Amino acid sequence: MLEIKDLHVNVHGKEILKGLSLKVPPGEVHAIMGPNGAGKSTTSYTLAGRAGYEVTKGEIDFFGEDVTTLAPEERAARGIFLAFQYPLEIPGVSTMNFLKTAMNSQAKIRGEKELNAAEFLRAVRAAAKELNISEDMLKRPLNVGFSGGEKKRNETLQMALLKPKLAILDEMDSGLDIDALKLVAEGVNKLRSPERSFLVITHYQRLLDYIVPDVIHILAGGKIVLSGDKSLALQLEQNGYDAVIAKAA
Amino acid sequence: MTDSLSESLLGAMEQRRGAVAPWLGALQGQATEVFKREGLPNRRVEAWRYSDLAKALRDDPVADATPVVPPSLQRAALAAFVDGALDDNASSYAQIGAVNLRTALGEKDSPLAAIIGKVYPQAGHPLVNLNTALLEEGLALRVPAGTKLDLPLHLRFLWTGAGSDGRHLRLLIQLEEGAEATIYETHDGAPTFSTVVTEFTLAKGAKLTHIRQESFLAGARQAAVTLGEIADKATYRAFYFSQGGQFARHEALLKLAGEEAHAELDGAVMVAGGRHCDNTTVIEHAAPNATSNQVFRSVLAGSARGVYQGCIKVGQVAQKTDARQLSRALLLSHKAEIVTKPELEIFADDVKCSHGATAGELDANALFFLRARGIPEAEARAMLIEAFFGEALDKIENEILREAVAKNVSFWLTTHAGEAAHVE
Ligand SMILES: Nc1ncnc2c1ncn2[C@@H]1O[C@H](COP(=O)(O)OP(=O)(O)OP(=O)(O)O)[C@@H](O)[C@H]1O
Ligand SMILES: [Mg+2]
Repeated sequence: MLEIKDLHVNVHGKEILKGLSLKVPPGEVHAIMGPNGAGKSTTSYTLAGRAGYEVTKGEIDFFGEDVTTLAPEERAARGIFLAFQYPLEIPGVSTMNFLKTAMNSQAKIRGEKELNAAEFLRAVRAAAKELNISEDMLKRPLNVGFSGGEKKRNETLQMALLKPKLAILDEMDSGLDIDALKLVAEGVNKLRSPERSFLVITHYQRLLDYIVPDVIHILAGGKIVLSGDKSLALQLEQNGYDAVIAKAA
Repeated sequence: MTDSLSESLLGAMEQRRGAVAPWLGALQGQATEVFKREGLPNRRVEAWRYSDLAKALRDDPVADATPVVPPSLQRAALAAFVDGALDDNASSYAQIGAVNLRTALGEKDSPLAAIIGKVYPQAGHPLVNLNTALLEEGLALRVPAGTKLDLPLHLRFLWTGAGSDGRHLRLLIQLEEGAEATIYETHDGAPTFSTVVTEFTLAKGAKLTHIRQESFLAGARQAAVTLGEIADKATYRAFYFSQGGQFARHEALLKLAGEEAHAELDGAVMVAGGRHCDNTTVIEHAAPNATSNQVFRSVLAGSARGVYQGCIKVGQVAQKTDARQLSRALLLSHKAEIVTKPELEIFADDVKCSHGATAGELDANALFFLRARGIPEAEARAMLIEAFFGEALDKIENEILREAVAKNVSFWLTTHAGEAAHVE
């Protein structure tokens, strides 16, 4: 489903990704771990199509299509979803209106039928209930005044409603207490399916106790230096990045 | 006085003097003298530096489409003006006790003599003087003590472009103690040249909501001034929407004359093409414990120019004043421009005053977030622009009016989708 081939990315003229290659088959959960500044967020933004992340070499294949030059909304409609490390507050845009516009825009791009008001409400209410998101939160402007945990729950809600094929979770665990982490992880696990893949970006072993990955990749210096099964996370926890990366080299 | 427009305006003034009742004649005489001295407002006058009316009137008029008659409101008392003339047959303002100023001007004596030209007088104000010297139409509304008008008064101005010598209107609003009223003033089409001066007085505890909506076509040339005196515990709530014109300027000159008087001004400017829109405010705190708050938001596209001049005056007696003003601008093009000129004149020591100005592009992070959720760029931009005005719109209490103004904002976004979608 996702195949990244020898990806080189410049940000502000500086090369950050230096030949990253990665393959995520359908239904699998892959984790990317790596030290601060390794290029993890850069990878997620590049996959989502953010302006300023200039691909100088390589390609991103999604279901066989090279999406490197597609606009963010086109990628979203094809099923790429990025859960933000720091979800944005957007004053003046109600959460409900945002959700509805996003769902219908994607449907439109895909040439599918848009939801009517009743269908939309039903879908949102059901998904919100599972994530313990109140009606009041839905009425408020997007993420404005939400706690860290509420923002991450809201990201999970968007994922549940938009039903992506590939969900990239950039440090889903940052700023969450243990209860919130469990709730979000549960939400994610419910969405696991043979048709949906996940790319879970994290620093810590902790998240991977709740969202158990099939493969773990270690990103350092702009490329994947080591891949392995979930035991790799334990090694990292015990020995630190430097030792594990040195051993791999 | 050399140019031909000034000559013809002066001719009109001289003619007018013989035709009106003596109680107005003296006032018009004085105003004519001032006009002879000052002429049309131009950029050599500091307050008109960024908005040169004399030049705008000399410039060739911008060609325009045919104006569309705006829809009537479901529940409102209507005063329908067409090219500055009040059409009584199409109006229903009498039901709330408003009167046609033209009728009053023909009477030997009028209670309006006590208010016209007397509200927060601006002896040397060139535009107010011009309007006084030439005024011939308008409306007067007095709301008796304790009365709360259910129906908003809709002052609907349609400008077809007829009447190149100008149309000059006066609106007189008096709210007695504890009275409440809402005025919805709409301007559509393109006046060749019009001036509108509004004088209002709010007695103790009165509350006036004033929603002005300028949905002009590109060639419109209008200068308007709202003069207000606000007594103790009275409140003036204003929402000024404008999409500018060849020349569009509105001044709010307000005096907070009593303790705990309050003025709350929200401005929403949406300008594109080569349009010009000026909002100028002077708020004088002349009593202790009064508060004022102004936020002017502007969205500027094309090579449009927005001007916001906000002056706060705090007199020596006005201790415990709380006065705030803020200008926020979104520049959708590199050729668009916003001029902000704050001024504070403070003569009391125990006051809170603040002013601020921001100008920038749409937030790139927010834009990316929306697009990453599947919302196409143009739509995402429109959403953020609407959101920019959301807070101000939410403050409009009357739901019908709130929706009417919101519709104007989204209509602008649809009709200017190209300009809103790209940064050139
Ligand atoms: N806008 C930018 N301008 C300049 N440099 C940038 C920019 N964004 C990222 N970088 C640089 O790119 C490198 C990778 O950053 P990135 O945010 O991808 O790291 P990360 O692995 O997500 O780190 P963290 O674990 O701290 O989130 C860093 O050296 C960072 O300073
Ligand atoms: Mg990061």
